[in-house]
Amino acid sequence: MKVDHSLPLEYSTKQNGLNIFGFWVFLAAEIMLFATLFTSYFTLEHRTAGGPNGTEIFEIAPVLIETFVLLTSSFTIGLGVHAMRIGRKKAMMTFFVITLLLGLVFIGFEIDEFITYIHEGATLQTSAFTAMLMTTLGTHGAHVTFGLFWGTAILLQVKKSGLTPETANKSFIFSLYWHFLDVVWIFIFSFIYLKGMM
Amino acid sequence: MSELFPRKQIMGFVFSLILTAAALTVYFLNMSFAKGMVVLLVTAFVQALLQLVVFMHAGETNDKWVIYGKVAFMMAIALITVFGTLLIFLWDM
Amino acid sequence: MEFFERFAIPNPSLAIYISMVAIALTMVAIVAGLTYFKKWGYLWREWLTTVDHKRIGIMYLLSALIMLFRGGVDAIMLRAQLAVPDNKLLDPQHYNEVFSTHGVIMVMFMAMPFIFAFMNFVVPLQIGARDVAFPRLNALSFWLFFFGAMLFNISFVIGGSPDAGWTSYFPLAGNEFSPSVGTNYYMLAIQISGIGTLMTGINMITTIFKMRAPGMTLMKMPMFTWATLVTNLIIVTVFPVITVALAMGTFDRLFGTHFFATSNGGMDMLWANLFWVWGHPEVYILILPAFGIYSEIISTFSGRNLYGYKSMVASMVIISALSCMVWAHHFFTMGQGAVANSFFSITTMAIAVPTGVKIFNWLFTLWKGKIRFTVPMLYSVGFIPLFVIGGVTGVMLAMSAADYQYHNTMFLVAHFHNTIIPGVVFAMLAGLTYYWPKMFGFMLNERIGKWSFWLLSIGFCLAFFPMYITGLDGQARRMYTYSEATGYGPLNMLSFIGAGVMAISFALIVYNVYYSIRYSPRNIGADPWDARSLEWATHTPIPEYNFAIEPHVASSQAFWDAKKKGHELFPGKLEKIHMPNNSGVPFIMGAIFFVWGFSMVFSLWIPAILSILAIFACMALRSFERDHGRYISVKEIEETETKLRGVN
Repeated sequence: MKVDHSLPLEYSTKQNGLNIFGFWVFLAAEIMLFATLFTSYFTLEHRTAGGPNGTEIFEIAPVLIETFVLLTSSFTIGLGVHAMRIGRKKAMMTFFVITLLLGLVFIGFEIDEFITYIHEGATLQTSAFTAMLMTTLGTHGAHVTFGLFWGTAILLQVKKSGLTPETANKSFIFSLYWHFLDVVWIFIFSFIYLKGMM
Repeated sequence: MSELFPRKQIMGFVFSLILTAAALTVYFLNMSFAKGMVVLLVTAFVQALLQLVVFMHAGETNDKWVIYGKVAFMMAIALITVFGTLLIFLWDM
Repeated sequence: MEFFERFAIPNPSLAIYISMVAIALTMVAIVAGLTYFKKWGYLWREWLTTVDHKRIGIMYLLSALIMLFRGGVDAIMLRAQLAVPDNKLLDPQHYNEVFSTHGVIMVMFMAMPFIFAFMNFVVPLQIGARDVAFPRLNALSFWLFFFGAMLFNISFVIGGSPDAGWTSYFPLAGNEFSPSVGTNYYMLAIQISGIGTLMTGINMITTIFKMRAPGMTLMKMPMFTWATLVTNLIIVTVFPVITVALAMGTFDRLFGTHFFATSNGGMDMLWANLFWVWGHPEVYILILPAFGIYSEIISTFSGRNLYGYKSMVASMVIISALSCMVWAHHFFTMGQGAVANSFFSITTMAIAVPTGVKIFNWLFTLWKGKIRFTVPMLYSVGFIPLFVIGGVTGVMLAMSAADYQYHNTMFLVAHFHNTIIPGVVFAMLAGLTYYWPKMFGFMLNERIGKWSFWLLSIGFCLAFFPMYITGLDGQARRMYTYSEATGYGPLNMLSFIGAGVMAISFALIVYNVYYSIRYSPRNIGADPWDARSLEWATHTPIPEYNFAIEPHVASSQAFWDAKKKGHELFPGKLEKIHMPNNSGVPFIMGAIFFVWGFSMVFSLWIPAILSILAIFACMALRSFERDHGRYISVKEIEETETKLRGVN
């Protein structure tokens, strides 16, 4: 494996460059995935069939906490990548752990939110609106949950083999994924919650 | 310790919090729907761009323009899909 | 016993029972054959675990050919049923199932793998790469496609085929009107193979952007590579849409949501909308690689470089963007207003412009060329006039006001077959004949090939041109029969005869393969067609590393320059070559996806959850695995090269 030392570790082999580029293409596809969910959500938004609508079930406090938690986690993983680039393995791992913990907090709030919805009579089967809401939020939540496992797997590898071109590459790609989920959340926050409560 | 907290990242984080606060005005102030949507559109897209450039390092390699081009193309098609569908089902039905 | 009742066929017939027996016998024969000839190890080592793009390409090709025959049998059944008025060959339910599976199989499981076969086989060679960017992901893509196709195909013997059309419109596809598990098969089989397709898209884009030979700038890529790049760009753009739509459809059918229902606020037309946001670009996903293949063939057999390279590229990029903003022309009659219809009408008609540019470019390439009418060239030349008819009728359909007359009639059926058969199928057969020597080391017989071309073209015209007329007279598509008083009888009989002629042509193609295996000469050299691009610059058979020395490129037809203008293609010296290791994980993951899909179809939750866990386990395994591939030493390369040079 040829290692090019003029580049950051995560780009240093040919395969590393390919992986990062390929992941960008994947993220571009994810844009369309969430765009489709938004398309369907906007179309079905007012079709509540006598069930609750957004204004009735959305609450600002948990949404704000979720937003703050996710934004912060996006910041800490950015710091993690920075620490990785200056070769500080321990700091990098700390920041990644904080990120994953914040992700866990986010998921906790989201699960609580779903339970509340169901108690308020907004289930997957209630109306097209509630189904679409839960599918959109659920898809994002499932991505975050997947990220928790993925991030843990990467952390274990960094712990075991240190910052090698391979683990650095994986960590960087994971950070791209995590930032992307933050961007998606911003759109959910703006165009589902805030628009719904406006 | 301070080398672990670069200025660029901190400014990015602060700015993203400011944008979030700005978006929140649509909830706390009494705004018309159209005005609110403009605020949300601006804050959301600026926020996305911020993440892309500051945190995701989209512009740091030779593939910069391919990556930007790809994301821009996707965003364009995504917006066409969203607004085209809204045109069909809501605005011109 | 109750547990097993769900697997029974809801509408059995003698034909289905015969197929069951035939499938069972074929499987027994395959297993017995493999065991008798002791080929299990060979199959596993050389094919099931391979990550080599050439072998994966060939596996795609074989799957596509098999599916072509499955879909073709469906087509013959449809035409036979419609051949005479008030026919009773198929009952309405079977007719519905047959046209649904015909459409899905031809689009998703025949045309798609066919284009992937060429993309996989040709593109890395054309750009001078050793393999695709992510070889193992490539294998996974193939196995997901393959097991998706198998899941779809078992539907007609276990549980019943989908019967709501290849578009599977709701509310017809909902539980209320389609109570059998057929539509579940549709949702899950397409989902599984669609995920594979998306991965191929990512893989190909990365390969083309990042792995081109030195000197090959974007504007020096061969036209098929350009077509592949643009196609995969569309794939990555629209396959997520069908992923979401299918997931929502699955939720409606399995978990009682109301996305596309007519109750509880659901919106049935949202399915149609999402389906066509994917579905329309999908037809360009099929046709653009076909255009790429025609460009290669027309340029090779005219002995000239492609006319208007830049406008060819520009028109493809414009088509890719426009293709994503025309989807509503599939449901002009839904009831949306004039503004929406006008917008989609205009964008649709606009696509004719870049397509026209391409047609003229091919004609100008032929102009003053030294044309050789080989079989691939015949298909390409036949394509131009026939495809233009399909295109022109497309512009007719694009006019939203006039579409109220054409909508859902045989006119539409004639139109899209008129674009897909001369467009895609001809290109695939042309590409098959053109690349066959590179894939298998001998040529297909030209004489038989010409016979099949002429039979296919004549059969095609006989089969589909009458539908334009019956369509304008009001014959609706998807109707299993019609009365004698309508007067559609004679023209439908003509269509049936045409379909028969096409069937003979396909049989001749199979015979040609058999004949050529037996009688074709084997020492054909590396460049039997006197071609122009890099895929012909390596040996036949192609060594696993493709090129011993990385080629250096200075134009879009580097190999031609090397042959005629003294361009030095391989200036470097031999170095050890890094290659990826084989892996059984993609195949195993595909098989688990199959189990998952099957369990979901029948709502067997425990195996479904277990298979999801198993899929994640495979992914974790991959993450923790340390597999850095292997190196082929210079000595080994020298031996291979000397041996291959001896052959040629």
